[in-house]
Amino acid sequence: MFDFLIDGFGVALTPLNLGLALLGALLGTLFGALPGIGPINGIAILMPLAYTLGLPAESSLILLAAVYTGAEYGGRMSSILLNVPGDAGAVMTTLDGYPLAQKGLAGPALGLSAVSSFIGATIAIIGLTLFAPLLANVAVMFGPAEFFALMIFAFSSMSVMMGKDPIKTAIGAVLGVLIGTVGIDSGSGVLRYTLGMPELYDGIDFVVMIIGLFAISEILLMLENSHSTDNDGELPPLGRVFVSLKEVLACKGAIIRSGLIGFIIGVLPGTGASVAGAVSYTTEKRLSDKDNTFGTGDMRGLAAPESANNAAAVGSFVPMLTLGIPGSGTTAVLLGALMLYNITPGPMMFTERPEVAGGLIASLYIGNIVLLMLNLPLAGVFARVLTIPRWVLVPAIAILAFVGVYQLHSDLFAIYLMLVIGVFGYLLRKLGFSLAPVILGYVLGGLMEQNLRRALSISGGDVGILWQSGISLGLWVAAVLLLVLPWLIPKLLAARKLSAG
Amino acid sequence: MKIAADRVLGIALIGLAAFIAVQAVQLEMPFSYEPVGPKAFPVGLSILLTILSLVMIFRPGPNGPWPHKALALKLLLVLALLLGYAVFFTQLGFIVSSLLVVTALARLFDATWGKALITGVIMSVIGYFLFTTALGISLPSGYWFDTFL
Repeated sequence: MFDFLIDGFGVALTPLNLGLALLGALLGTLFGALPGIGPINGIAILMPLAYTLGLPAESSLILLAAVYTGAEYGGRMSSILLNVPGDAGAVMTTLDGYPLAQKGLAGPALGLSAVSSFIGATIAIIGLTLFAPLLANVAVMFGPAEFFALMIFAFSSMSVMMGKDPIKTAIGAVLGVLIGTVGIDSGSGVLRYTLGMPELYDGIDFVVMIIGLFAISEILLMLENSHSTDNDGELPPLGRVFVSLKEVLACKGAIIRSGLIGFIIGVLPGTGASVAGAVSYTTEKRLSDKDNTFGTGDMRGLAAPESANNAAAVGSFVPMLTLGIPGSGTTAVLLGALMLYNITPGPMMFTERPEVAGGLIASLYIGNIVLLMLNLPLAGVFARVLTIPRWVLVPAIAILAFVGVYQLHSDLFAIYLMLVIGVFGYLLRKLGFSLAPVILGYVLGGLMEQNLRRALSISGGDVGILWQSGISLGLWVAAVLLLVLPWLIPKLLAARKLSAG
Repeated sequence: MKIAADRVLGIALIGLAAFIAVQAVQLEMPFSYEPVGPKAFPVGLSILLTILSLVMIFRPGPNGPWPHKALALKLLLVLALLLGYAVFFTQLGFIVSSLLVVTALARLFDATWGKALITGVIMSVIGYFLFTTALGISLPSGYWFDTFL
């Protein structure tokens, strides 16, 4: 049953892939630590380069996945040292991490965060190894109708869990799907929304889309934040560098519980590290905060979200590898990267391309160990990255974005399009939208339409096929419950209280 | 002000939805061998977008703060710089256009002239050789210079 993993280690342990995992871990930690460059930006910037290097699919996936998991490690740096979360997944880390740094315990806090991240990720990688093949076996039975229902479920789960405002999350997803419809329709050969521009016949390129949406909009946002949050060169002292075994053992319950919570939340489509961090922190506060020390520099309050956000990052690979449905914005980008190699992730991947699925999972085991070994002794070095001024960072992002898009087709249209998408992304962010649903919609929209049309072709136009099977009916019910319950439960509770009183 | 932004956006999105639906309905298919053509999906999306926008118009959410005047001017400057970078990317070539844009961008992000110039020189020259020789990406060397040389 675990043949794929043994083969996978064969792939992951080749010198090239081992080197790429190491490079990815290093770059990921750096990208995560740099203010404003989270995992998505890191991958967006590196993906075109990985593609130009002519790496095989499994190698570039190993590189990009290592960047992703590395960025989750790096995101904690600015949370702990500067009280500024490096990315959405590290928000909860500030609550106890920054108070610890103020107490002069920044070094142990960074160490503890590395150890909890390692354990959380390990729990999730084991979960991935166990559950992914099982889920893939179930998913083989999925037809177009089931996949369509699954995507409906993914979008409704995303609207409820992702972002602050469910309506804006849903609008963002719809806009993403609409952007995906630009170009020649594969079913009929009709041109849609190309506005007469031949450059748009092939649709809006994935690389142009993510670099514009994330990197360019980030440049514009950084301009606004540059005055409020520049802490150039003012890092708190790290104190002693290593965390003691006693401190880690004091947090073991929090770390293990949060790892499990993070994995489960990561597996749910559309919910990522930020939700996992928040849920694990509040759970842990409820369970073990007896002396009211959470929020004042309690090590368990730091260990819980750190374990959970790394577990969620790994967990989000489960739906991506088995169903082809990304569990987070970042895995949506990885999914798009795979599609550039003409690989459609999904249940068949474990049987048709075992070297990609197995190699990726094996490389996660290796990358995780590499990350722990890098992060424990080098925390102080990585912390220096925080002092890189924006006037170096911003031009570097601009150059990488331009070169990344230019090398696709060597034409300027793509660059202009990237700038337009960048302004669009900036406006969305200013209006309180998060960008992850947009990218998820863009990646999933095409698949959603194809599956819908295929299902209705099979049934000859009868929409009943969409909820005929048990699996698809179950997914529809789950999707509706997810949308209705958060709104219904408080009302029911209020009614009960009223009748009781 | 904050609430107004969401309402304006909602109205704009309804306009977009209408445009999408009209365009979709006008699509002409030379042949059709499936019950659902390329029209239904965009039309469905535009209906969904209209409903969601209506909800947002009636229940607008919070926005972040908008940039004040000086900052908005700076934003436009950065955008103009990026646009200029695109325009001159092939004409001046990678090295010269990057040198100019990196220096200007670094200045806009509060570097001194000296630091900005050094950043510009280092990034454009080292970047060029890194991308072309190490990564094998072909970058424009600038055809304005080719005509002079």
